[in-house]
Amino acid sequence: MKDFLQGIKLGMVEFGNNLNGILVSLILLFVYILGVGSTALIAKLIGKHFLDLNSKKKKSYWVDLNLSKKELREYLNQF
Amino acid sequence: MYILGISCYYHDASAALIKDGKVVAAAQEERFTRVKHDTSFPINAINFCLQSQNIKIEDVALVGFYEKPLLKFERILYQHIEMFPFGIKVFLATLPAWFNTKLRVIKAIRKKLGYKKNVLFIEHHLAHAASSFLISPFKKAAVVTCDGVGEWTTTSLGIGEGNNITLLKEIRFPNSLGLLYSTITAYLGFSVNNSEYKVMGLSAYGEMDPKKNKYYQRLKKIVDLNEDGSFSFDMSYFTYHYSNRMPSKKLCQLLDGPIKKADQPLTQRHNDIAAAVQLLTEEILTKILNYAQKVSQSDDLVMAGGVALNSVYNGKILRKTTFKNLWIQPDPGDGGTSIGVAVYIYYTLMGNKRQGYFKDPYLGPAYSNLEIRTFLKKNKIKYKEFRNQKDLVNQTAELIHKNSVVGWFQLGMEWGPRALGARSILSNPCHPKMQEILNEKVKHRETFRPFAPVICREDAKDFFEIDNPMPEITDFMLMVYPIKKKWHKKIPAVTHIDGTGRLQTIQKNQNLLYYNLIERFGNLSGIPILINTSFNIRGEPIVCTPFDAYKCMMGTGIDYLVMGNFLIKRLDNSNHIWDSEKYAKD
Repeated sequence: MKDFLQGIKLGMVEFGNNLNGILVSLILLFVYILGVGSTALIAKLIGKHFLDLNSKKKKSYWVDLNLSKKELREYLNQF
Repeated sequence: MYILGISCYYHDASAALIKDGKVVAAAQEERFTRVKHDTSFPINAINFCLQSQNIKIEDVALVGFYEKPLLKFERILYQHIEMFPFGIKVFLATLPAWFNTKLRVIKAIRKKLGYKKNVLFIEHHLAHAASSFLISPFKKAAVVTCDGVGEWTTTSLGIGEGNNITLLKEIRFPNSLGLLYSTITAYLGFSVNNSEYKVMGLSAYGEMDPKKNKYYQRLKKIVDLNEDGSFSFDMSYFTYHYSNRMPSKKLCQLLDGPIKKADQPLTQRHNDIAAAVQLLTEEILTKILNYAQKVSQSDDLVMAGGVALNSVYNGKILRKTTFKNLWIQPDPGDGGTSIGVAVYIYYTLMGNKRQGYFKDPYLGPAYSNLEIRTFLKKNKIKYKEFRNQKDLVNQTAELIHKNSVVGWFQLGMEWGPRALGARSILSNPCHPKMQEILNEKVKHRETFRPFAPVICREDAKDFFEIDNPMPEITDFMLMVYPIKKKWHKKIPAVTHIDGTGRLQTIQKNQNLLYYNLIERFGNLSGIPILINTSFNIRGEPIVCTPFDAYKCMMGTGIDYLVMGNFLIKRLDNSNHIWDSEKYAKD
């Protein structure tokens, strides 16, 4: 009886995990199409690029960074 | 004052603890969980660091994290917007991990460690730069970092001076030398972020003359390389900016065939492709380094990032560039950034005076003879105890001289991906079949892969065509040098097809027992060199505990295990023998 109940419990946990996976995928699909897709469409219409995929020939591809010590509070940020 | 550095959630999670600026404990999480390149929150590594100093998390003044997660997430989102709708598969597969873990670093640190003070985040490539420069012997140096990608940066160069580092220039994603190398690694059927070193080893079998290697010439056409080392890729040959499958169909056409499957045999074409990417990497790096020298006006160079593990190129840097001195820490990859963030906080942000430099790589868990004896007795393992250390050295050297394969478990576990004489498999380099024996019976790995020689530092110049003065980082097995021709046939097991060896030098004050063993073997054989390969089987992390070491010996063709002051013979414990071969994987 105990094994039977344990089996049901494990089955329900697995069912819950699968359901969670399906729901998360559906929500992300929704976000991908509406959020990412619409932003991509607008970006394409106005000619905005987020990645430098077709960079024109340049004398140098180095980008100025000048990254050095900042105020301590800056390091509390994750950005 | 204790500061804890953490690196995790990409690959090679690790933790490092510094006390008043000195690294006192550091380890990768994979060694505890036994999952190679484990990315998870390094709770075991952190616990080890705290226990090793007998402190609690409340005693830690600050915790630092090795990157800026939101900046990285921004890049991921931009990739998806730019490549819509091609990245849908990756988006659905990876976004949950971002929301569940990668964007909740502070919460994880508070919950898992009970830490209540501030967490500091520093940029990924700054953590790389700090991980090498701030523990280097140089007061001023050019700093070059190069890996797959951090937040946006893939390559950076700058200057380190005193306590400060300024990264002046960067190359940004998707142009990435590390990802070029990884793409070819994937194309050759090896695992990415794991087997790049196999491509490096394979390159020696290919055509290393750029004029004769047609794949080098083809690969070069997809890279626009300037004299200052800056570069831009034709991204139509790659798919890593929106897919897990890194080479595009166009790249497959360029390289005369589809992506090699893991079980397909390697051909000369594959060897030539490996040589081509190695040649191209070397060419780009040489230009970058010469430019860095010009910008920094320094003769000293420190490097970090996964590309700095390219030991074939590292051995050529001082000959090919204008630099005179080179420093790389034992773990220049992402694992090493936990040290980077900790020392950056202590030295750069807090302004403490730099002291000494990094010499001791044995920063992981160590086990006393009492602990080892307890383990052996508890598990009813037959063993013999050496009378003293002289007896240990003499008997072990004799066993190796008689062509036995010996597992060597001493001191604290090494920091970084290389076994440096604390968790090593040692054997006789003079035996003509030893490479075959080790590859097939012990490591269960590809036959083309060479083994590394270890030699006492004073003897290295007699056997290797080594830079003069000899860089100290040869102690960390980060440099490949040509072996002098007259020794090629005498040490065949460590002489690669191109006559080179990725040597480790050892100094008396670093690891006395190991040093004495090599010296004693030299007295017996006339050649003071041993084969040193990592104590693991293919696909597993290097062993950490006595249990891991014993299990590894019993599952492989290792004949003896020298653990602390004890000698364990495999055949004396035949009831514990198992076959590890079927578990060997990449």
